[in-house]
Amino acid sequence: MFKLIAKPALMVILAASTWSNPLLASDLTDANEIVANANLTSYYAANDGRSEARMLIKDAQGREQKRQFTILRRDRSDGGEQDFLVVFSRPADVRNTVFLVAKKPGSDDDRWLYLPGLDLVKRISAGDKRTSFVGSHYFYEDVSGRGIAEDNHQLKETTEQYYIVENQPVDPKSAEFSRYTAWINKSTFLPEKIEYFDEGGELYRRVEVLASELVQGHETVTKSRVSDLRSGGQTTLEFRFQAYDLGMEQAVFSERSLRKPPREWLRRSR
Amino acid sequence: MVVKNASALLRVLLSSAIVLASANLYSATEDDDSWGDDAWGDEAETEQGLQFHGFIESAVGGRLSNDSVLQDDDFTLAELRARIETERFIDDAFSHGASSDNARGGSLRLSAKLDLYVDGVDGGGDLYLREAIADFSISDDVDVRVGHQILTWGTGDLVFLNDLFVKDWQSFFSGRDDEYLKAPSTSLKTSFYGDDVNIDFVWTPVFSHDNFISGERFSYFSPMANSQQAAPSGKVIPVEPSKTFSHGEFAARVHGSAQLLGSNAEWALYGYRGFWKQPNAVNSRNQPFYSPLTSLGASLRTNVASGIGHTELAWYNGDDDQGNNPLLPNNQLRFLVGYEQELLPKLTLGVQYYFENQLDYDALTKSDGGSIYRVDEHRELWTMRMTYSAMQDNLIMSWFSFYSPTDQDYYHRPSVKYRFNDELNLTVGGNIFGGEQAHTFFGQFDDASNVYARLRWSY
Repeated sequence: MFKLIAKPALMVILAASTWSNPLLASDLTDANEIVANANLTSYYAANDGRSEARMLIKDAQGREQKRQFTILRRDRSDGGEQDFLVVFSRPADVRNTVFLVAKKPGSDDDRWLYLPGLDLVKRISAGDKRTSFVGSHYFYEDVSGRGIAEDNHQLKETTEQYYIVENQPVDPKSAEFSRYTAWINKSTFLPEKIEYFDEGGELYRRVEVLASELVQGHETVTKSRVSDLRSGGQTTLEFRFQAYDLGMEQAVFSERSLRKPPREWLRRSR
Repeated sequence: MVVKNASALLRVLLSSAIVLASANLYSATEDDDSWGDDAWGDEAETEQGLQFHGFIESAVGGRLSNDSVLQDDDFTLAELRARIETERFIDDAFSHGASSDNARGGSLRLSAKLDLYVDGVDGGGDLYLREAIADFSISDDVDVRVGHQILTWGTGDLVFLNDLFVKDWQSFFSGRDDEYLKAPSTSLKTSFYGDDVNIDFVWTPVFSHDNFISGERFSYFSPMANSQQAAPSGKVIPVEPSKTFSHGEFAARVHGSAQLLGSNAEWALYGYRGFWKQPNAVNSRNQPFYSPLTSLGASLRTNVASGIGHTELAWYNGDDDQGNNPLLPNNQLRFLVGYEQELLPKLTLGVQYYFENQLDYDALTKSDGGSIYRVDEHRELWTMRMTYSAMQDNLIMSWFSFYSPTDQDYYHRPSVKYRFNDELNLTVGGNIFGGEQAHTFFGQFDDASNVYARLRWSY
């Protein structure tokens, strides 16, 4: 496993020392291709996967809240439609709440919420995807992915380590940013840093990968952070116990799982 | 009565102080900078020892005006409540069986929720079993839930057509958490999951009625007495069906989803055989009772524009085939259509239109002696829900209204909830009733209008 990443990394170092210009023959030059690869790496690793996640939400005054949940994901097609099941375990007032999403890039997602206290399966209308996800500084879209066709992408710079891609929304009214810049790791294709700018050109929001590791051959984020630079609040998100290609069926992402979360996939493998 | 209420208030205030104090104590120990050594909810930990969750809540609510027929009308809510919840998974419970490879088939989940409370309105303390269930699968396609459980289905938002499971209207009217609107019943629920069609079958061996407005805590209008009534003399004490197999309740739902105009549409058919959940029939000895009810219905829920549309239909068929017995409820057709959409980020609006048609109205008009309190042939109801969340979802403002143009009455439910942190939240709200006439559905609760506050510490 280690060799898989070590080799390209070594090649980059060798190549970089040979030419002073960091732009290499092997580098990609098409921003759309880079972004498509980054999208696949970030949100479509393997055909399915599970991960446990927890968030530490801090406001500007240092007050903290916590969220803990397990995510199951299955892709219907690479880069296309996929399903998510999110089962909350903390805090106590949302324990056993379940969230089901059928993600449809290019159109509205289907979303359901199960409230265990009422035994209620509630279908939720498609909402603004750039609003807080469960009270954190992450947006719903940061967690499930932003459709790559929603922005125009331009490769601004290629450094030894990163493709620096500038992105502008196709429909300026669809997002609160006027542009964002992504530092996409050249070897892993993980966007390691994304900075969002408002209409005045001011940086107001940053998403960073703090740690990642190789899981079953897939470079996987294990810790990230989003900072709201205006309010001073931030949320740290940690992932643990990831596993890919578990062989989940489509039926896992159904009303049955909302009412009775699938223990088979939710419990950690031994 | 004054003494009782004063002591109730004192208890509530005292308990509020305890809740606040314990919340402060808790946050004082939570001042570390990160998750620290906090375990990820270790599997071994949950399997060997039981984990307990729940909340402690103190709630107080007061009437906005006097209710002259109630003896004790100061408080509509005055309670301290402690919830204890626990669950346990036994993963290899059925490992000897044929489906041992399948964890759905192999795992048993036990869950219990219990409330201990001191109630200053009714007086005294008590235990309330909210849930005691076992969840397991008898094959890859069949799930079973047995025990004391909350059951919900249907598409309506606080309007129920085919959901004939138990409701607690006293809790709903007095401002307890929304969760208490649904009350538990001791039932066996079997769910079959097929490729295209799923079937739920619920058997409740002993009929469970709603916790309806009986004259305690809230008064009601009696057409027989031609006046507002309350306990003790006016308390509704219905005759219950005898506990035989044929008096059990049987409810079924056949449901699935299909692509409709490019959207994922959820369809369902419903059936119920049991009794009206409220005692709206009167026997020959002038006693209220729960008359038999059979219902059939259907619903559809799908994306419409950028929102969610839903519609539901139900046909209620009772014992009064001809519709000419004014002491029994008329057969009814009930219809609902609704739409919900996010108008602005974090601001959601939902609107529903509901109508209820008395199917043998002509027969009723000929047999009830021209009662001025006769229900309308068509009762219409509009509902509106507006929800806005702000401050990183810590502040949730909600307004729900029922308005009937035919009854000319209304019921508003404003509320504001603030989460101080993960443990402590405060809800302040109201239940505001009114109407042109004293006998209509919501109009009779004019004097029940109240405001309330609930402080909850979750653990």
